[in-house]
Amino acid sequence: MEIDRQKIRMYSLLGSHRTFGQVALELPKINEKVVVMVADQMSPAGLEYFRDQQPDKFINIGIAEQNLIGVAAGLAKEGMTPFVVAQASFATGRCFDQIKINMAYMHLGVKVVGLSAGLSIGQYGATHMSVEDVALMRCLPDIVILSPADCTETAKALMATAEDPRPTYIRLSGWMNCPIVYKKDYDYQIGKAITFKEGNDIAIIATGPMVYNSIKAAEMLEEEGLSVKVVDMHTIKPLDTMAIDDCLSAKLVVTAEEHSVIGGLGSAVAEYLAPKAIKPPHLIIGTNDRYVNAGEYSYLQEQFGLTPIQLKNQILTNLK
Amino acid sequence: MTNLEKYNQVMCDSLQVSAEQLPGLKYQDVELWDSVGHMTLVANLEDAFDILMETDDIIDFSSYEKGKEILAKYDIDFSK
Repeated sequence: MEIDRQKIRMYSLLGSHRTFGQVALELPKINEKVVVMVADQMSPAGLEYFRDQQPDKFINIGIAEQNLIGVAAGLAKEGMTPFVVAQASFATGRCFDQIKINMAYMHLGVKVVGLSAGLSIGQYGATHMSVEDVALMRCLPDIVILSPADCTETAKALMATAEDPRPTYIRLSGWMNCPIVYKKDYDYQIGKAITFKEGNDIAIIATGPMVYNSIKAAEMLEEEGLSVKVVDMHTIKPLDTMAIDDCLSAKLVVTAEEHSVIGGLGSAVAEYLAPKAIKPPHLIIGTNDRYVNAGEYSYLQEQFGLTPIQLKNQILTNLK
Repeated sequence: MTNLEKYNQVMCDSLQVSAEQLPGLKYQDVELWDSVGHMTLVANLEDAFDILMETDDIIDFSSYEKGKEILAKYDIDFSK
């Protein structure tokens, strides 16, 4: 599928959820075995078009996420490629056992699309904030974890996933009118991080919405004379360790994610770095270990120190 | 091409309507002006006028006439 400038902007305007709804229309062209299943999330995911165009490939299980995974696993066992859609918090937390047994242990290629991952619907409170999902999924062997940086990367990740046989969790974050990281089409491969920009002093390895914020933070740091590398680690598992190795000459390695500092990208990078005798200090930026009150997305990012200026200040403090 | 002609052209092409249908045309009056079509329309207008619209303006853009008011905020002069 060609992704031109107007499509990139349209995806950004729609936000990652409804971008899924648009890209879903293309998925059966990539893999005729694709079916799309929802836990009553048809409208939030913009799947009305898919339902109308592909009624035989669309199943609404209702608000029953655990059953959703079970039925999807059965279909995968019969050779289908199910994309299942639910709120990230419920798709991972509530369905952990189903994902462990029916997807990871049985090696069934179900694709779990988690909506509103991170803080994006934090106005509903901690029940809907999904900042533990990567930690949960990461401890399961063989699950691929994707965390797109923007809506174009959401489209790229979904299309790549349709051709990939592995069980996968796709973490969709952000809201409508998402910032654009990639302004033109580019090469995307699951498991291969993208160096967005090179730099020598600081290396920021970011994922999801934090890629854009890290790019902005890097611009501010460069105004202060620092050279900053930014890596888009869109695949959290399997981790692109070569991309991390390429960051080790920096004075400070930073990981940035809209997820708990426990168990996410920061932990994955720290686990990889732990046995190395010589390595730069590693600053892990994410949501620290606490619950906050319900609030709008930008407010919550600020509460957790995830805005570009806050990233910049934390980096400067740790560089000294 | 004047700005008004350009605006009309984008509206007609994006929503697959004729110029005669534009006056009074509102969001969801035609099949293609649904939520996704709205974003396509906005993306096409942004491209045509080289602007980037704010989220509140995208949501407020509820009719052909309202669209002209909103674009005027981005220094699009429809008298030219």
